[in-house]
Amino acid sequence: MELLNTLWLSTGLAHFEFGQVVMMSVGAILLYLAIVRNFEPLLLLPMGFGAILTNIPLAGFTEAGGLLHYIYEVGISTGVFPLLIFMGVGAMTDFGALIANPKVLLLGAAAQLGIFATLFGAIALNVIPGIEFTLKDASAIAIIGGADGPTAIFLASKLAPELLGAIAVAAYSYMALVPIIQPPIMRALTNVDERKIEMEQLRHVTKVEKVIFPLAVLLMTIFFLPAATPLVGMFCLGNLMRESGVVDRLSATAQNELINITTIFLGLGVGSKLSAEKFLNVETLGILALGAVAFSIGTAGGVLMAKLMNKFSKTPINPLIGAAGVSAVPMAARVANKVGLEANPHNFLLMHAMGPNVAGVLGSAVAAGILLALVG
Amino acid sequence: MENLTQLFIEAGTLMLVGMVFVYTFLGLLVLIINKFLAPLAKAYPDPVLQPKRKPSTTKTLSTEGVSPSVVAAISAAVSTYRQQNKKS
Repeated sequence: MELLNTLWLSTGLAHFEFGQVVMMSVGAILLYLAIVRNFEPLLLLPMGFGAILTNIPLAGFTEAGGLLHYIYEVGISTGVFPLLIFMGVGAMTDFGALIANPKVLLLGAAAQLGIFATLFGAIALNVIPGIEFTLKDASAIAIIGGADGPTAIFLASKLAPELLGAIAVAAYSYMALVPIIQPPIMRALTNVDERKIEMEQLRHVTKVEKVIFPLAVLLMTIFFLPAATPLVGMFCLGNLMRESGVVDRLSATAQNELINITTIFLGLGVGSKLSAEKFLNVETLGILALGAVAFSIGTAGGVLMAKLMNKFSKTPINPLIGAAGVSAVPMAARVANKVGLEANPHNFLLMHAMGPNVAGVLGSAVAAGILLALVG
Repeated sequence: MENLTQLFIEAGTLMLVGMVFVYTFLGLLVLIINKFLAPLAKAYPDPVLQPKRKPSTTKTLSTEGVSPSVVAAISAAVSTYRQQNKKS
């Protein structure tokens, strides 16, 4: 009888707590979103599975000695994984569209309004009982508005590790929802004539420019915002490997094998933060709500800035490309292209939208650096 | 409550400083591209592929992609077409 009792106590069934069951369902929902809905599957699948593993009773995945504990400590709390991913993103990014039409950098700046306005919103949520966000927490939440997964995870791991799970889930879910969140805002802020605007063809960008560009960006970051150099530096390294043309093997590794391996571990590590006591609270609901607000304000900021620039610019600027300033490469650029095509079937904005899109990546890295420097 | 007001002021300042800085940084980058990179592109254009013409083998088309002269002809035609279209 005693043997049976011991056996029973070693089963998972005897030890399940309510919170663990709920969190496993959250993991299952993430798996569903990844597999059936195709929402950012590369990250949500390992993340959802990590959430399930984390909440297995008795297995101790996240205790000292557990696999997920080490993955988190080695790669995420140190910031290594998001930075490696950022290098891969750099190796995948073509700055050609941006260099050809540099003023769209201002659209990438405008869309960062989403970040800083959400910072304000997060502090405002403190009036709700049960929510207590410090300025650090608020900054980490606000970076969701940068629509850039690795940046959000990097900043959250530095400023508010206890909120990392919720922030990463919100950031990647909303990035997947960009095609649903953005178009209504873009249509509301523009009229049909503005959406029809055709832009001039981009000039050819030479190899010399593309090689010098990442170095120039790095130099500026060194001078003005060293706090952003981990992010910007790795990004520029990846980009230089791509554009220099002499290390194609390294560039190919950075944008394929390395980023894939890192993504597996990053997803698992973030999933390990989805434990009941850290996720099941009012604050998570607040973070999810703020994430949606951040994306919306960022989109609006970009579109309004593009409208303003169109008034003063010599060459026409379609306001829709402003929405791509929120990064979320290349989804946001595709959305701009799609909404543009609805108004004018001959108007292909994709290449024009790629400019603000990659500018948004730089913009959110700069914003993250500012938050690190001022709040961290 | 006073604490909250304090936080609000800090968040507001951060928002202002942050946006100004992001604009300044990226604005400066615009200047750098316009002032330094664009002239550089003119000074060091991409090497134009010289049409390798071997007099005796004019008939054998290069197997590696389209020959540059064909590309040049097509680009000329496209740009003429575009200009005509713009005027009409």
